[in-house]
Amino acid sequence: MEIVRISLLGGLLALDGTSVGQFMFSRPLVAGALVGWLLGDPAAGVVVGAILELYLLVSFPTGGSRFPEGATATVVAVAATVVTDAAGALPLAVAVGLVWGQLAGVSVTLMRRLNSRLVPEPGSRHPGPRRIWVSHLGAVLIDFVRGAVVTFLGVIVGRAVVGGMPGPWALSPAASVGLLLVGGSASIGILLRDLGGFRLRKTLFVTGLALGVLGARFL
Amino acid sequence: MSAFLRSFLIQGSWNYHTMLGSGFAFSMLPGLRELYGAEPDEMEASLERHLEHFNAHPYLAGVALGAALKLEADGADPETVRRFKLAVRGPLGSLGDALVWAAWLPGVSVLALALYWMGFPGWWAAVLFLGMYNIGHLALRFWGFRIGLIEGRMVGRRLERANLARWTARLKAAVALLLGLLVGAVLAGEDGLAASGWLWTALAACAFLAGLLVGHRAWRPAAATVVGVIAVLAALGALG
Repeated sequence: MEIVRISLLGGLLALDGTSVGQFMFSRPLVAGALVGWLLGDPAAGVVVGAILELYLLVSFPTGGSRFPEGATATVVAVAATVVTDAAGALPLAVAVGLVWGQLAGVSVTLMRRLNSRLVPEPGSRHPGPRRIWVSHLGAVLIDFVRGAVVTFLGVIVGRAVVGGMPGPWALSPAASVGLLLVGGSASIGILLRDLGGFRLRKTLFVTGLALGVLGARFL
Repeated sequence: MSAFLRSFLIQGSWNYHTMLGSGFAFSMLPGLRELYGAEPDEMEASLERHLEHFNAHPYLAGVALGAALKLEADGADPETVRRFKLAVRGPLGSLGDALVWAAWLPGVSVLALALYWMGFPGWWAAVLFLGMYNIGHLALRFWGFRIGLIEGRMVGRRLERANLARWTARLKAAVALLLGLLVGAVLAGEDGLAASGWLWTALAACAFLAGLLVGHRAWRPAAATVVGVIAVLAALGALG
């Protein structure tokens, strides 16, 4: 029953991604905390969520763009990381989550193509309020089912990969987090570039950096 | 009010053909029922118009929705409604993308992450993110729908006065400061790079520079490299 609950949550979070509200429950930081709480390990959920949030800092849920589905990636990664205490579970689960997030992004593209056939053609005679209502809410339902199914399959694959991890893990837990932060650091560089680049923002960025170091040391 | 609530589902049937078109018609339905309830032919004609291709930032689509409702209520001719929607869709998309996706969302996200890496409880950071983000989100949606309903076709002037571009520029400056804060926290935090050792710190600096220099093209290679290294380490473990 646990996997059904996780999949339903995955469906709801997928809806929040673009179709309904966009309240950002689907951002990895929030989704990770929610799934972790659902699985009885909120701390693991938050760690995975924070790492994936760093990766997806530059992934925005714009209507037409293709993007990795952060919520699915997070749900799959958290569900996979809690299956074992073995060293290496966290990086392996995050890796599976990142790959699954890309696949989930492909499923979003396919669903949008399906929506093109589902909605009434512009200029079609007598579209009728009922037809519009049914096709629109039908598309929302399809998105929910898509999110739940993709999450369900991802959790099965993720748990099989992480749970079946065969041998010892070469890195310490701190080094594993370091490895994961390498990929996230690229997103920070990209975001700084999107904000105008280092040359334009150097004063603010360096001031923030100094405050961040002080905050991390003394708070 | 019903049209405003439905605007939260405006992207529900997003597609590559009409984009927000069907969602726009869906959101207009309660208002059109009130206006044309007794005239089914007028209602059908109006729905046909609003099913046409439309796109905008979802939070600012309410501006066009409110204004289109006012135009319909004022009895504007169909061509005026069509031209109005055609004129506003570009600006509402680019203004919203710049303000929300490129400034507000990353800003709040970066702040929450910085606090997390400084040692604040993760739950606290997630709740702060949700609360802060949605105050701005809901305020923008409500404001947009309201000025659309009040101003109608002249909503462009109201948007110009609001000077969203200036707000975006200010927000982006603040995000640059917060981004520095996040980097400092990740570097010096208890669970950050300082604890991982110089190798990972140096590699993270290289990835940061790659992102800074080549932008979004760096994302996939960086993520793929990390996934690849993890797969190799797992395989090495399996071999003993």
